[in-house]
Amino acid sequence: MDIREIIARRAAQELEDGQVANLGFGIPTQAVNYLPESVTLIMHTENGAFGFGAKPSYDTCNSDVTNAGSEPVTMLQGGAYMSLATSLGAMRNGYIDVTILGALEVDQNGNIANWAVKRNDMWWPGIGGAMDLTYGTKKIIATLQHTDKHGNSKIKKQCELPLTGKGCVKTIITEKAVFDIVNGVLVLREVYPGLSVSEVQEITEAEFIVSDDLKEMTF
Amino acid sequence: MKSKVMPIDEALSVVKDGTRLMLGGFIDAGSPLSSIEKLVEKKVKNLTLIAVTPGMSGFGKSMLYKNKQVKELISTHVGTSAESTEAYLAGELLIKEFFPMGTWIEKVRAGAMGLGGVLVPVGVGILDEVDLFPNLEEAKKVVEVSGVKCFIEPALTAEVSIVKAWRADTMGNLEFRGTSLNNNMDMAMAGKYTIAEVNEIVPVGTIAPERVGCPGVFVNAIVQGKKIDEQDELYKSVWLDRGKLVKEGDIDGHS
Repeated sequence: MDIREIIARRAAQELEDGQVANLGFGIPTQAVNYLPESVTLIMHTENGAFGFGAKPSYDTCNSDVTNAGSEPVTMLQGGAYMSLATSLGAMRNGYIDVTILGALEVDQNGNIANWAVKRNDMWWPGIGGAMDLTYGTKKIIATLQHTDKHGNSKIKKQCELPLTGKGCVKTIITEKAVFDIVNGVLVLREVYPGLSVSEVQEITEAEFIVSDDLKEMTF
Repeated sequence: MKSKVMPIDEALSVVKDGTRLMLGGFIDAGSPLSSIEKLVEKKVKNLTLIAVTPGMSGFGKSMLYKNKQVKELISTHVGTSAESTEAYLAGELLIKEFFPMGTWIEKVRAGAMGLGGVLVPVGVGILDEVDLFPNLEEAKKVVEVSGVKCFIEPALTAEVSIVKAWRADTMGNLEFRGTSLNNNMDMAMAGKYTIAEVNEIVPVGTIAPERVGCPGVFVNAIVQGKKIDEQDELYKSVWLDRGKLVKEGDIDGHS
């Protein structure tokens, strides 16, 4: 199992039947593939729909039914279209139950940074719907690789990149561990099978406490 | 009553060098593609473009950056298009600040509805950090309303809005299809002169009043864009090329 699959499989376990969910591109979207049959979500896409489904076949593809990545999707029974303003309003005002987001950095205060890196001394690529999502969504799950390619922790004491949301992250899932942020404190809830707490500490810049109920991650 | 249908060249004659222009669409889905092709052909320059995203790489709006026709982009993002990214990083495309998408569309809506602006709590304490957006002429203003800190976000308007709808009648009433509604309705109302590009033009009375997504009163010109079959084929070929669609059978899972 590669790192992306580990994270996606573990993230899928956080989703509950009937939730209104907005899943970011990449690993978050991949999580849908690992949902148990008992879990059906109402999928939201910020360009303007609740209740979209799988990709269409070539023959049934409709060029006016797309997701937030401008890719073709289908609509499930019970789905609904809405304007962009309504869709973003739903995000801002608490109508989305859960989101899984990719992150560049997270920190021990529940901050998340995922919209900007410096290129040619300018911030790139931009915000899109990410800030509205982190502002209003009831449960925010950040997914990311535990360390960067140089081995530096992406779970920081304090994010260095421009923030997307402040103090909003409830759960952090990496290929090594699962953390919750409880009352402003980072709590280690699960570790990758066979990994010790001190091994997690070695690769984590943020300060955390260990849950009394520490478990091994399952997939 | 005079029909609002006109040839695309006549309608687009209102777009000149330096025009402040809104273009509908979401990463170029539900985007006025034929009008954009005409703008490229017309070679109008120094445009200030208001669009929710810069568009899709190698397609639609991206040709405007490739041909250096856009001076400033007012948007939520620059990275959805390789061409806009390249122009931005080369210092040829000015972006004073990035807006959260919900803020951006409410600014357009405020412009559409004759308001001076809107109060938006999203991003306060983040987007007003000093030096985050060095090209801003003045600092973002924050007010506290009912205990919530909000940005004062001025309305966005444009000299010309070009939107995309599925069909229109000759009075300019618009009907949308699927997610291609996106920002097209609000944008149609925010332009001083609004051009709606449609797949199909129908006689008055064909679109039932309750199916009108944008009343014709807000629309100045209707132009014939690509027919729906042509549009479907165009997007399908792009998606096929980019692995977003496959020719045979269904794929499991989402996107």
